[in-house]
Amino acid sequence: MRVVIAEDQALLREGLVALLAANDIEVVAQAEDGEGLLRIVAGHKPDVAIVDVRLPPTFTDEGVRAAIEARERHPGTGVLILSQYVEPVYTAELLAAGSAGVGYLLKERVGDVPAFVDAVRRVAAGGTALDREVVAQVMSASRRGPGDPLAALSPREEEVLALMAEGRTNAAIARALVVTQGAVEKHVTSIFSKLDLPASDDDHRRVLAVLAFMRAAG
Amino acid sequence: MQAAEPTPTTAPQPTSRRRIGPAAALELHAGIGAFAGLVCTLLWGLTDSPSFWPLWVWFAIVLSLALHAGCWLGWTWWRRARDRRHGLIAAHAAVSLTAIAILLLVWVASGPGGEFWPLIPVACLGGLLAGHALGGALWVRFDARAREETLTTRVDELTRSRRGVVEAQAEELRRVERDLHDGAQSRLVALTMQLGLAEAELSDRPEAAAKVRAAREEAGAAIAELRDLARGIAPPVLADRGLAAAVESLADRASGPVTVEAAGLDRRPPPVVESAAYFVVAEALTNAAKHAPGAAVAVTLSLDGAGLRVAVRDDGPGGADPHGSGIAGLRGRVEALDGRLGVSSPPGAGTTIEAELPC
Repeated sequence: MRVVIAEDQALLREGLVALLAANDIEVVAQAEDGEGLLRIVAGHKPDVAIVDVRLPPTFTDEGVRAAIEARERHPGTGVLILSQYVEPVYTAELLAAGSAGVGYLLKERVGDVPAFVDAVRRVAAGGTALDREVVAQVMSASRRGPGDPLAALSPREEEVLALMAEGRTNAAIARALVVTQGAVEKHVTSIFSKLDLPASDDDHRRVLAVLAFMRAAG
Repeated sequence: MQAAEPTPTTAPQPTSRRRIGPAAALELHAGIGAFAGLVCTLLWGLTDSPSFWPLWVWFAIVLSLALHAGCWLGWTWWRRARDRRHGLIAAHAAVSLTAIAILLLVWVASGPGGEFWPLIPVACLGGLLAGHALGGALWVRFDARAREETLTTRVDELTRSRRGVVEAQAEELRRVERDLHDGAQSRLVALTMQLGLAEAELSDRPEAAAKVRAAREEAGAAIAELRDLARGIAPPVLADRGLAAAVESLADRASGPVTVEAAGLDRRPPPVVESAAYFVVAEALTNAAKHAPGAAVAVTLSLDGAGLRVAVRDDGPGGADPHGSGIAGLRGRVEALDGRLGVSSPPGAGTTIEAELPC
């Protein structure tokens, strides 16, 4: 697996490299700003780019903008955003820019090394890894009223979809909800049909379901 | 023209024995004068003198009385005048009237049959008084205009500097937020990474690993607290994506259903105005969650040539205190930008908080 990192703070950049190296993930290139990210994505064709939201020169949402552009230029590149803040709007924008792997995690999640490495691998493989706080916020936002695409879902199906958005497998969802894996599969099929998702391989449909979920955030 | 000689007729008050007031002094003066005049007239009657010499005694007495009365009048008017300029004119009038009275007295005493010679001095005194009054009025007029100009300039300066202070404060808060992000928050993130790595290396010693994990979670909690603090002082999404996105983000975090409508926000208002509008919505949503839990809230934002209008309406029970501390804080923030904040919360008809921010 090939990973690039865009992070302006050396302390965090080096920490990430060390953390990934300890888990046999090679960081092939590093950048300190948005332009640098575009350059290394073009040069190294990584499986996943780990990007800080705030990068020079503006220190606002430079990282998200650069990541969206990188995805448009190089479809299939997974993007894992690291942020100090939960802002579902960024995730929705990233998902809208292509259905390859997308992750959005609060920075402190990197401390839970196994979970973080798992998220990096999932995003590299085209899956999703949304922070549970992002998911919680979308869930509360989705209760906002009529016209909500998630209104058709049962409360249980909403729970399953939220866990799918975090990137959990059916087995992990079954463990979290204390139900059988077969029950989860039934809920997942029901979610796909209620959200009217086209028939395709399951992984892709999962991303589409998460995309629908994120759209509910407005 | 008022009479030059007031003739006090009231009897002396018993208290005047202790301290003689100005009116009592004049009465005393008149009494002594009349007594002296009468004594002289009586003496003249007894001595059978050919010329009526007490006339000059009476003349001196009346002259001194006129001067006394003039002084008293001038002093009284000066005291009653509403400002120094009116006081000066009043004193001038009192002196002029006394002088005219004395001139008339002299003319009468010297035999009123002849030419009316006091005419020219009386006219001159009147002219001087009129000139004084007119000049004073003109001066006040010009002075008022000059003062108004000074005040207008001062108000402009204060408005500008007040806005400058608000802008500087907002910039300072953004700087604090950036410093938190780049400093303490980043160091804590680096710390959680190192603790995470240590935890992984301690997999063969579960007790030590559990301690490291507890430390990592504690650092995570500190990061979360710093995040809430930073968002409270200068939400980054506001600077990044503008008011509409920031308000959407607030709506997402709200516990009840919140709708957001934004018009004209393709153009971004100045940062201080955005920030004030954001905190109006944030406070209004907090209030709604507290006092009208579960109520539907509608937020509207509209920007046009006149400025930014923000309205937050809920369909809760109403009856909010329009002078609560949260509202007072918002009002200060809005008024510092020359804006207006209105709260309407009739019992049973929901609460509306509206702000108008010129920009």
